[in-house]
Amino acid sequence: MADLFEEYRLGPGWDEMFAELGVPRASYEALHATLQPLSSAELGVRAEVLARAFLDQGITFALKGVERPFPLDIVPRIIAAAEWRGVEVGVAQRIRALEAFLADVYGAGQVLADGVVPRRIIATSAHYLRAAAGITPPNGVRVHVAGVDLIRDEQGTFRVLEDNVRIPSGVSYVMENRRAMAQVLPEVFAATRILPVESYPAMLLTALRAAAPAGISDPAVVVLSPGVYNSAYFEHAMIAREMGVELVEGRDLVCVGNAVAMRTTAGEQRVDVIYRRIDDDFLDPVHFRADSVIGVAGLLNAARAGRVTIANAVGNGVADDKLLYTYVPELIRYYLNEEPLLPNVDTYRLDEPGVLEHVLDRLDELVLKPVDGAGGAGIVIGSQAMRHELDAVREKIVANPRGWIAQREVKLSMVPTLIGDRLRGRHVDLRPFAVNDGEKIWVLPGGLTRVALPEGELVVNSSQGGGSKDTWVLASPTSPVGEPVPIPVAGPVPSAPAAPPDPGPGQAPAEEQQQQQQ
Amino acid sequence: MTSLVDSWRLKVQHKSGFEYAGTVTSSYNEARMWPRNDARQAVLDAKIEVWPPARTYQYEDYWGTVVTAFDVHAGHDKLTVTASSTVETLPPGDLLSGGLDWGFDTDRWYEFLLPTRRTRLNDELTAIVAELRARHDNPQDAAMAVCEFVRSEVAYVPGATGVQSDALHAWEQRKGVCQDLSHLAAGMLRALGLPARYVSGYLHPKPSAEIGESVVGQSHAWVEWWAGRWTSYDPTNGVPIGHRHVLVGRGREYGDVPPLKGIYAGPKSTGQGVEVTITRLR
Repeated sequence: MADLFEEYRLGPGWDEMFAELGVPRASYEALHATLQPLSSAELGVRAEVLARAFLDQGITFALKGVERPFPLDIVPRIIAAAEWRGVEVGVAQRIRALEAFLADVYGAGQVLADGVVPRRIIATSAHYLRAAAGITPPNGVRVHVAGVDLIRDEQGTFRVLEDNVRIPSGVSYVMENRRAMAQVLPEVFAATRILPVESYPAMLLTALRAAAPAGISDPAVVVLSPGVYNSAYFEHAMIAREMGVELVEGRDLVCVGNAVAMRTTAGEQRVDVIYRRIDDDFLDPVHFRADSVIGVAGLLNAARAGRVTIANAVGNGVADDKLLYTYVPELIRYYLNEEPLLPNVDTYRLDEPGVLEHVLDRLDELVLKPVDGAGGAGIVIGSQAMRHELDAVREKIVANPRGWIAQREVKLSMVPTLIGDRLRGRHVDLRPFAVNDGEKIWVLPGGLTRVALPEGELVVNSSQGGGSKDTWVLASPTSPVGEPVPIPVAGPVPSAPAAPPDPGPGQAPAEEQQQQQQ
Repeated sequence: MTSLVDSWRLKVQHKSGFEYAGTVTSSYNEARMWPRNDARQAVLDAKIEVWPPARTYQYEDYWGTVVTAFDVHAGHDKLTVTASSTVETLPPGDLLSGGLDWGFDTDRWYEFLLPTRRTRLNDELTAIVAELRARHDNPQDAAMAVCEFVRSEVAYVPGATGVQSDALHAWEQRKGVCQDLSHLAAGMLRALGLPARYVSGYLHPKPSAEIGESVVGQSHAWVEWWAGRWTSYDPTNGVPIGHRHVLVGRGREYGDVPPLKGIYAGPKSTGQGVEVTITRLR
C-alpha cells in the first residue's frame, strides 16, 4: 500500500501544509490525519467521483476556444482563522481605497492635482473611460464585487498580485467546489469547523438591492450575460438562479427615455439594478463599440440619469491597470490615512527615469506583465523564458514602457496536490471575493484557490489551464461557525487580526439589509 | 468685469439630420450643439428640438460640453435635430503677444499633449515642427508659426474630406476643411510641446455682418493651446477668436465633440444634411 506522501518534497515556495517534512501545520492536522492512512487507490477513487460530479454538472472552462473541465483537486487548501482575518481586513481596506480613487478620478481628480498619482498614468490608461465621468452611483458604490488576487510569498506573507474590480469571475467554482468536496471527504468536514460559502448569492443580492436608484423600495435586479458562448455563462446562470433573479441578455433589455425595461412574455418590466457580466467595451453601443450586439443601447445615459444602476460601475478598469496597482499603497495612505495591511509584490514602474534600463539588464530574473493583460495573458517569467521570448518581450517593452510592469519573481506558496497517484507540492494563488453594499464590505470566507498543475509552473490562472482547490477558512476557536463580521466602509478598521465576535442569528448582514428596505 | 458694450449678439440655428432608405424603428443619439458659457461668450438662450418628437436628456460631459441625448422609438425615415441659440460674443482680446517662455507647467493639461487618431503626425511633419520651434524663441511665436504654416500649406476646400478624415490625409492632399486644418494644427502644436485643444463651434462668415441679416453660416472648428495660459486661434481663417465665433465644445479632436452622433436599427442612411443659419442681432 503506497503512501500518498511518498517522495513528497518541500518546494521553493512556502509549503502551506508542512512546516517541515512530515510535520503538518496545526491548521492542516485533521486533513493530514485523514489523508495519511488512505491508499493512493482509495484517494484516486474519490478523485474520480469528484471529477465526474463536475463533468455531470457541466462545470467547464473554455481554454483557447475549447470547453474543458476546470479540474478540482481533491486536497483542499486551508486558511486559519487569524490568517483569514488579516486577509479580510486587508482586502476590504484595498477596496475602500479603490472606491475613493474611482470616485475621485471620475469626479474632481484631487488625487491627480495633489500629484499622488501622475496625471499621465490616468490619461494614458486604456480603461479610463471619459464617458463614465460624472456618473454618480446611488449609494456611492462602484465596486459591488471585487476579486483581489493574492499570493503567499516565500515567508508565507499574503501579498496582492492584482486587483480585479471590473467583472471578476470564479465565484461559482467556490460554491460548487464546496458542494462536491463535502461528498468526497465527509470525515474531514465532520472533524473540522469550516466557514460556509453558500451565503454568497444572498450577500451579493443584498449589495445589489442596496445600490438601487433612490426612491425604489423593491428594486428589480437582473444578471446581464453576453450569452451561452461566454466561457463564464455557467456562472452567470448559477448566480442568477441562486439569487432568484432573471438572467438576461442584451436583446432582452430596452432603454426608452433612460428607463430600462426587460422584455418578458408578460410584457415589459422595469429593471433597476443590472449585475452585468459584459465588458465595458460592449455594454452600450451608443458610447462604446458601436458594433456590439450583446449590449444595450442607452444604458450608460440611463445610469447617468440615475434611473438604473450598473454593477460593477462602468470605467472601473482604470483601477485594474497594473501600473496603477503600484500606486495602491499610496492611495491607501492618501484616502484612508492608514498603512496598507496587505503588501504588493515588489514592482518596477518602467515609465520612470532610469528604471527601464535597470530592468532590461535583468529580464531573465523578473516577471514581465502587460498592464492590461487579463487571464495571465502575455505574462513572461524571465527565468523560464526562452531566449527568443525574452528578445520579443524586450522589444515590446522598449516600444511601450507604459504598457508593461516588471515584478520580482515570487515563488508562490505550495499545497499538496494529487498528481497521478501521489501528492506533490504545487503553486497556488487565492482570489477572495468581496462584496460592498455601501455600508459594509463582506469578504466571502475562502475564495477561489487556483493551482498550477505542471511542476514548477507559476502562472496559476484558469485561462492558462490550471485547476482549483476548495478553500477552507477555519472558524475561530473562540466563536461558533457563523457569518464573518463585515468591515464597515467608513471609519477605522481593526488592523490586528482579532477573533470576530459572534454576530448572532439576527445580526447577519443579509437580514439587516432586508429590514432596512422594508 | 468685462464690459459687453463691444459685444455682438448672434442667433444661430443649426439643423442637422439623417435620411434613411426605409423605416428606422429605434434610434439613440447625442447632440453636441448647445453653446456653452465661457470667458468670451454668454449664452442668452438655447434649445434643441427633435423630429420625430422625443424627450431629451441633458448632461455635461467629461470635456464640459453640454450634451443633449434622446432616443426615438416611433418609426421614421428621417431624423432632424434643430439647435437654436442666442449668444453674446466678444471681440478678440489681447491674445497674441509673445513674451512667455517655455518653462510653463503642462501637467494639468497632459491629455492634450497626446496624439489622437485624427491628430497624428508623420516624420515629415514632426521634422517641420522641430524646425519651426528652433526658429522661434518663445512658444506664442512658435504656435503662431504653426498656424500660419497650416494655413499656407493646406488649402481650405469645402467638401475636400469626409467626417472620418484625419490630419495626415489633409496634409497628403494639401487640402481639407476647417476640421482637418484644426486637427493638423493641434497635432503640430502638441509636437511643439504645447497642450492643444480642438474646438467645435460656429462661425459667422462676414467680418462686417449686417444687423438683422440672416446668412448661411457653418459648423466650424479651431484650436487652443496652452503656454502658461490658453490662446484661441482660427487656423482656417488666420484670425484670433472673436465676435464671429460661437463656442460649443472642446476636446482632443473631433471624436470628443461630434455635433450629432448615434446608432439606430433599420435600413442604411441615404443622406445627411446640415444647415447653419446665423443672424447678427446687434
